[in-house]
Amino acid sequence: MGDNNQFKRALISAACSMAFAAAGSAHAANWLMLQGTEDPASASRAEVWGFIQAKYEQDFSDANANGQYVPPKLLGPELDSQDGFNINRARIGVRGTGFPLDSKINYFALLEMGNNGITHGNGAFAKLTDASITLNHIPGARVRAGLFKTPGSEEALQAIHVFDYINFTEGANGLLNERFPNKGYSGANVGPFTEAQLQGGSKLNTFNSPVGAFRDVGVQVFDAFDIGNDWELSYAAMVGNGNGIEFSNSDGEYDKYLYLSAEKKLDGGKGGRAHGLKFFGWGQWGSRQLDITDDTTANAITYDRNRAGLGVKYLKKPFRVTAEYIKAEGMIWVGPDKPTFIFTNAANGDGRNADAYSWYVEGGWYIPNTKWEIDARFDTMTRLEGQPSQHRFDKWTLGVQYHFNPKTRVTFNYEIRDFECNSGNSAGPACGNPNTNLQGVGDKVGVQLTAIF
Amino acid sequence: MAKIRSFFLVLASLLLTSAAAPTLAAEPSFADYKYVLHISDMDPFKQELILNNASNLLDAYGPGQVEVEIVAYGPGLRLMFAENVNAKRIDSLSQSGVKFAACGNTLKGMTKLMGSEPKLTPVAKVVPGGIVRIGELVKQGYIYVKP
Repeated sequence: MGDNNQFKRALISAACSMAFAAAGSAHAANWLMLQGTEDPASASRAEVWGFIQAKYEQDFSDANANGQYVPPKLLGPELDSQDGFNINRARIGVRGTGFPLDSKINYFALLEMGNNGITHGNGAFAKLTDASITLNHIPGARVRAGLFKTPGSEEALQAIHVFDYINFTEGANGLLNERFPNKGYSGANVGPFTEAQLQGGSKLNTFNSPVGAFRDVGVQVFDAFDIGNDWELSYAAMVGNGNGIEFSNSDGEYDKYLYLSAEKKLDGGKGGRAHGLKFFGWGQWGSRQLDITDDTTANAITYDRNRAGLGVKYLKKPFRVTAEYIKAEGMIWVGPDKPTFIFTNAANGDGRNADAYSWYVEGGWYIPNTKWEIDARFDTMTRLEGQPSQHRFDKWTLGVQYHFNPKTRVTFNYEIRDFECNSGNSAGPACGNPNTNLQGVGDKVGVQLTAIF
Repeated sequence: MAKIRSFFLVLASLLLTSAAAPTLAAEPSFADYKYVLHISDMDPFKQELILNNASNLLDAYGPGQVEVEIVAYGPGLRLMFAENVNAKRIDSLSQSGVKFAACGNTLKGMTKLMGSEPKLTPVAKVVPGGIVRIGELVKQGYIYVKP
């Protein structure tokens, strides 16, 4: 009986918490809330903000036996050099509650002007990456509509300006940061190219569309609930076009997204670096159209593209530990090679319908009483799992960061990479050519300066 | 007859005044230092700043030595909305003796604009006019500060 009463009290308490979740409460690093809502009764009408990231990278990879290069040996998004400076992100945005007396409605807009996969695809000088409106009228069911980050992997969902590494894990880059097939088929082989060919204008990156940037255009219902003892439960359910940051739904199908997290709030930290222990799981289900027949007839076929993952993140300075696992089914790209259509052919793995998975573990140590931080990450991705052309991409990233102040830091990264086709017959027809090209993939070093304003 | 009419008018106005939302009485204060902090803009940083000011004043003087009242009007009234993210801190400051005065004129205007009266933190006392309240306090010897 006592237990029963306790259960009832817990239920009532949870219900009350849910009912009043719209009231202001300090959230841990809850990206759904940090990006989709504003502090009630204190948000600005229009808070202008943004950040700039400038970096220098050098890739120490060697060319293959024929003096040719493949994408992993070159710097993106141009993929035509092995060292250089880049303004990889320059974003400016505005957010707030347009009518500050009514804190039940807020908005968020962000424009990208850096040089990366978002702006490179269609040669745009600037590209809208976020433009959303959130309605907070229904207790427990906030509604966010527009273009914004989809609920999913922590690495993808977190604000990029607090991301602790220069480059994504291979899994986030290869399985989540979506590349979209070009509309028309082209049989033209793309690469590998020699240095002279690259300098002469040969292009390895010929995607027509920008990368998905972990975003979609649609509607999301979400909220976070304080369930007592400093635990917070969050959920998000979304429906979107499934076309990244592009505004169309040409296949007529919608992607569906689900996200759940439970986080224990810990003392300390603020905003995106609020302390906590978070467990999360998510799934995305969608489809894509692809024309792979070498003719002038438009005969695209629809393929499934599903992604799911789970993970945990702990942050309480001086320590941070994150681990994630991602599973992918369908639309497993080989890479920018032959970007109009290429997925590994049916005989070697059928990338359109194949599976892949990835995981990573990373940690950080904020050296007490200093402005220094040490980071280390191991990530691995297995592409075309169990197929003749199965590839494995292992990467160690060692990092050091110096925080000039809470909004300005410099990040040093050293990447040690081991990429290979490892299906068991590495010299066979499915792996021979890939391994010839991947041989020589070496270390990469980068320095990045981040300033948030 | 005119005297009787005047008497009833005065009586009625007194009744109306007392029937309005709870007001801060002009209580005599024996504190050595008295501060009135004024917020009238919507800047969220100002909201934090004014609460920091109040905390620092309490820390700087011994118990009973300082009297602090925060007066909000215009867009600054958002500080005293019940849903304000600083609500817990406001409650805590109130328990430490800080007084919060919300402008009745602003409240009326916001109610008209929004179609319903905004819910204020329970520790906020509505005064007929925020600007009038500041004047009264200054006349009583309060030091006026607008962060």
